[in-house]
Amino acid sequence: MLQIKDLTFTVENTDPGASGQKTILDRFNYTFEHGKFYGITGPNGSGKTSLAKVIMGINPVTSGRIVFEGNDITDLSITDRAKSGIAYSFQNPARFKGISFRQLLSIAAETDDESVLQKIVARVGICSLDFLEKSVDAKLSGGEIKKIELATTIARNPKLAIYDEPDTGIDLWTIGPMIDLLKKEQKNHQTTTIVVSHNKNFLEAADTILILKKGKFVYEGDLDGAIHLLTDLSTCTLPDLCEGENDVRCFR
Amino acid sequence: MLDALDKELLKTVADLEGLPKGAYNIRKNGKLLGRKISANINIETNAEGTGIIISVAPNTQNESVHIPVILSEAGLHDVVYNSFIIGENADVTIIAGCGIHCGSDKKEGHEGIHDFTVHANARMTYIEKHYAFGKGKGQRTLNPTTKVLLKQNAYAEMILEQIGGVDTAQRVNEAILEDGASLLIKENVLTEDTQIANSTNQIVLNGKDSSANLIARSVIKGDSKQDFIASMEANNKCYGHIECDAIILDNGTSDTVPSLKARHPDAELTHEASIGKIADDQLMKLMSLGLTYDEAVNHIIQGFLDRRVDV
Ligand SMILES: Nc1ncnc2c1ncn2[C@@H]1O[C@H](COP(=O)(O)OP(=O)(O)OP(=O)(O)O)[C@@H](O)[C@H]1O
Ligand SMILES: [Mg+2]
Repeated sequence: MLQIKDLTFTVENTDPGASGQKTILDRFNYTFEHGKFYGITGPNGSGKTSLAKVIMGINPVTSGRIVFEGNDITDLSITDRAKSGIAYSFQNPARFKGISFRQLLSIAAETDDESVLQKIVARVGICSLDFLEKSVDAKLSGGEIKKIELATTIARNPKLAIYDEPDTGIDLWTIGPMIDLLKKEQKNHQTTTIVVSHNKNFLEAADTILILKKGKFVYEGDLDGAIHLLTDLSTCTLPDLCEGENDVRCFR
Repeated sequence: MLDALDKELLKTVADLEGLPKGAYNIRKNGKLLGRKISANINIETNAEGTGIIISVAPNTQNESVHIPVILSEAGLHDVVYNSFIIGENADVTIIAGCGIHCGSDKKEGHEGIHDFTVHANARMTYIEKHYAFGKGKGQRTLNPTTKVLLKQNAYAEMILEQIGGVDTAQRVNEAILEDGASLLIKENVLTEDTQIANSTNQIVLNGKDSSANLIARSVIKGDSKQDFIASMEANNKCYGHIECDAIILDNGTSDTVPSLKARHPDAELTHEASIGKIADDQLMKLMSLGLTYDEAVNHIIQGFLDRRVDV
């Protein structure tokens, strides 16, 4: 349902002392299938968020094509991609001054009918009704804003939902229900689901695990087959720079 | 008594459909259009005949006064001096505001100088909305001044809005706080085209345990310009905070000068100021929910200028 063809994404290199372009995604190819649940993981800085934002249209592609349900969407705006059924939950959600959760939800659901909004909150389950009054501003806790972010994505009834580390800041009691919720959405609405996560519980829930490293998928398959790679990755993500575990310059 | 135009202006500046409940004083084109007093709220013309004196009796509870001004006569520049005396322990809401309809190319303007004495333990909510519209090209000027004296443990919440159509504005707010007094000012100003708005604020915290919070939000569109000057002076153990945020769209410009003057070792003064375009992450979020760029901008500005105070 989503084909990524030969996609390259480069940015201005902002590393200290560097100049020119830095390639984040390198001639990337992958086809996501309808109704499946994907878990994407990989070291920090490997390009997971960049990939998600390229799909949503937030990051402009440098070259390559993106085809969604048979239509080339490479040149579509964020708005048009949203309207065609793609939704993205940000890793670091925006905070506003003077916009409440109710308002965000009503934009997402395209209605201000209170009973519809309440039904969505009930369906999402992980935030209580009184959340609707909350201002989506700097005063929200890290976990609260992630719950709101997730709810606005579900409210879109997307065909393709991408959740970027939905579990950051989420308490232990909510992780289980959050996974159940995404599974339920996948089952009831055939939502193609992509979750970016480092959390084993999320990866266990996925039909397919994808490991992204240096701008390419280095693994596709089930969790069992990924375990050795994941332990490698969790040992050290900077093997090139490694000067030994006991060295004071260990970068981990 | 009220024509269609009057009604529209009243609705915009005072959220009124027809005549208000409770006490009111409506001024139109420099003349009294209607007045009603209540058992606890008296309104009378001052000795000089230049404005009104509104006296709220001590212990008055949950009453309101509407004092809108409407202007629809070409070439008129209306100046009024109004005094508000809020008695001890009273709790009152005052809704002021000025609407200008400009149908010609002649200048129209209003200058309202409002001074308030809020006596011990009284609470006052003051809401003032300024708005101008009409096809005429005449310059519309609105220069509001508020001067507030808050006595012991008095509380005032002031919501000051200029929501569009005003070509030039010189806005002045001054306040003096005695022991235990508390003040919240929220000022929202939107300018566009070549409009100019200046806001000068001076808050003096004289009283022990007094506190003041000044929150200013500016939206500066087109080629308009807004300058914001705020000074908070602390002469006792007290708390003061200035927060001024401006969103610039198009080619708007702004000078923002918050200044804190601590003249007592236990004074606690803080300020936050930001000027800039709408943050990209906010726009991206709303667009990813299906809004167009322009719709996203509008939503963000409406929220930013929302007058409900969430502090
Ligand atoms: N707009 C940008 N300008 C410059 N560099 C960028 C930009 N966007 C991403 N990068 C860089 O691209 C690399 C990949 O970033 P990305 O956010 O996609 O990683 P990630 O896999 O999501 O990491 P994490 O697990 O920490 O969320 C990083 O080195 C980051 O600094
Ligand atoms: Mg990321």
